[in-house]
Amino acid sequence: MSSRNEWSHETQAYFDGERAAAEPPPRERPGADRLLRGVTAYAASIHAPGAELDDRIMARVRERGRARAHPSMWRWLVAPQSVRVRPVVLALAASLVFLVWWRDRTAELPSAPQLAATPTVLVRFELLAPRASSVTLAGSFNEWGTEGMPLTPSATPGLWAVTVPLPVGEHEYLFLVDGAKWMADPSAQAQVDDGFGRTNSVIVVGPRGVVRS
Amino acid sequence: MRRTLAIGLAALLAAETLGAQGAPEIRARLIARGAPKSLADQVQKVVSAARRERLPTDPLADKALEGWAKRASPDRVLVAVRELHTRLGQARIAAAQAGLKPPPGGVVTAAAQALGRGMTAEDVRHLIQAAHGSRNAAAGLMVASSLAAQGFAHGVAAQAVEQTYQNGGTTSDVLELPSVTASLLARGLSRPDVGERILEGRPFRLDDSEVGSENGAVNRRALGRAADVPPGARGRSTSNPSTGRRTGP
Amino acid sequence: MNEAGLGDGDVVQRVLAGEVELFRVLVERYRHEFGRYAVSLVGDEDSAQDAIQEAFIRAFDSLGSCRDPQRFKAWFFRILTNQCHNARSRRRREVALDGVDAPARDRTDADVEQDELRRAIDAALDDLTPEQREAFVMKHVDGRSYEEIAELLHTGIDALKMRVYRARDALRRRLEDRT
Repeated sequence: MSSRNEWSHETQAYFDGERAAAEPPPRERPGADRLLRGVTAYAASIHAPGAELDDRIMARVRERGRARAHPSMWRWLVAPQSVRVRPVVLALAASLVFLVWWRDRTAELPSAPQLAATPTVLVRFELLAPRASSVTLAGSFNEWGTEGMPLTPSATPGLWAVTVPLPVGEHEYLFLVDGAKWMADPSAQAQVDDGFGRTNSVIVVGPRGVVRS
Repeated sequence: MRRTLAIGLAALLAAETLGAQGAPEIRARLIARGAPKSLADQVQKVVSAARRERLPTDPLADKALEGWAKRASPDRVLVAVRELHTRLGQARIAAAQAGLKPPPGGVVTAAAQALGRGMTAEDVRHLIQAAHGSRNAAAGLMVASSLAAQGFAHGVAAQAVEQTYQNGGTTSDVLELPSVTASLLARGLSRPDVGERILEGRPFRLDDSEVGSENGAVNRRALGRAADVPPGARGRSTSNPSTGRRTGP
Repeated sequence: MNEAGLGDGDVVQRVLAGEVELFRVLVERYRHEFGRYAVSLVGDEDSAQDAIQEAFIRAFDSLGSCRDPQRFKAWFFRILTNQCHNARSRRRREVALDGVDAPARDRTDADVEQDELRRAIDAALDDLTPEQREAFVMKHVDGRSYEEIAELLHTGIDALKMRVYRARDALRRRLEDRT
């Protein structure tokens, strides 16, 4: 920044309103006053929003207050957001596809974390398993049942695919290939100890979908 | 923008009804799947005790079903279920200490999972306090434990969630953290780098245009909105508009 | 009930305890106090209103994590500022702040000059970094003292003055380009 473009110290103090302390140098005075006039005019043109904005805000706040108090009344579904699975995921040895069917558990003490207004989000997954004859998915969402969630072959040879609604939140899962071999998902967000000598794959689904690398 | 989706609503309502009737006891469900009667009885004992203690029982049932589905030995299944029972009790205490009285089942479940993944009771308490409402607390705990599962130190995982809430982030923002961090890790960033970034507390809002950024090079602004940096900004004094945090003078 | 006498800390506690309607006290208070700041920071009234709304909703959602309810003002201010910065980059440039001029024959030379200066300043705000913009608007649109601004921004007064000075330098360049 050249000094030609910087206000002098005195002028800055002048702008700060410390006029008793400083006077701008003569060459800067006209420009300084011009700036001040412009700033004053600009400030005068700024109008604050009126009280009707308060009403709109409170209407939304009330909605949210209700949702917090009664989460089960406000369950809604978001529109499906299929997530682009990037090419690099397909290039990995095995990415993962699964089908989730959500069962709400309202036992005497609901244990599924009540994410109020829990939406579901559609997530598309793909699995490259050319030699498999069947692939199913099991996880925390379907009580690890090994029959209910089959993957189906897609148009690409060897590629199994499905798009599923997943409730927002965290899920642990594995694949069962050919009814016999449990497989984790190498491209999952994380792997955790399952307590039985294996690892489970983990995915956390947010309301806006899942971002894959 | 949300469009309400009509499909699945009937399924949802049906599922609710099923749940509301009270799930069949775990003993019967295990036996129906071919588990040995002795295992089913032992698991039922743990679940009944948990119920008396006002702890959530579904996670215990799920764990037993998982173990049996994987054909783990009955001893192993029992050990896992009992350990989870203990963790649920600890989680309940931590949640109550954090001010939730009585602690909702969802929060206890999430807290127990967090404890099982290396979070401390102190982490759990802080996370609950940082969130507002039990809905947010459960999500925050869930996300923190997921970050821990990705290999972040438990303190970093907890702090990431807390800071997101403190910066005015919503539960949606918090729920995005694991997929964003996993994405960054997959792109080759080190955990310290990712950890540092998320501790700076920037809310995450990834557009499609920002994911998978230019030529594989890490865009340091990828987690904010690159367009927010005005053209006149000098490198020495910038801030991320998403949080207004300043770096430099 | 004299709601005007309620401090922020009291209101926050009561809202958290379930008196949701009481949140309105905070909405009125800070829409009034920060409204012009938001409009100037965003650059147009409609987008600013959206940003203000969004900020209050986020504040409500995260109210429990407001570390110190007595400090709601500064906490909310940060949330609002974030929303405004986002909104500014999203808005379309052609939306003017106050686009309607009086008919040409009613306007004096001074009026015309004022309008030009005003637009120049509005445009010049785009040249600033977000921090400079915040500081400049608080100083020159809200008329706050450096001490007040420092308190809201959690920053030192010297650093703050630098931002305002740099902002004024940027405006000088803009204005000189026009002469």
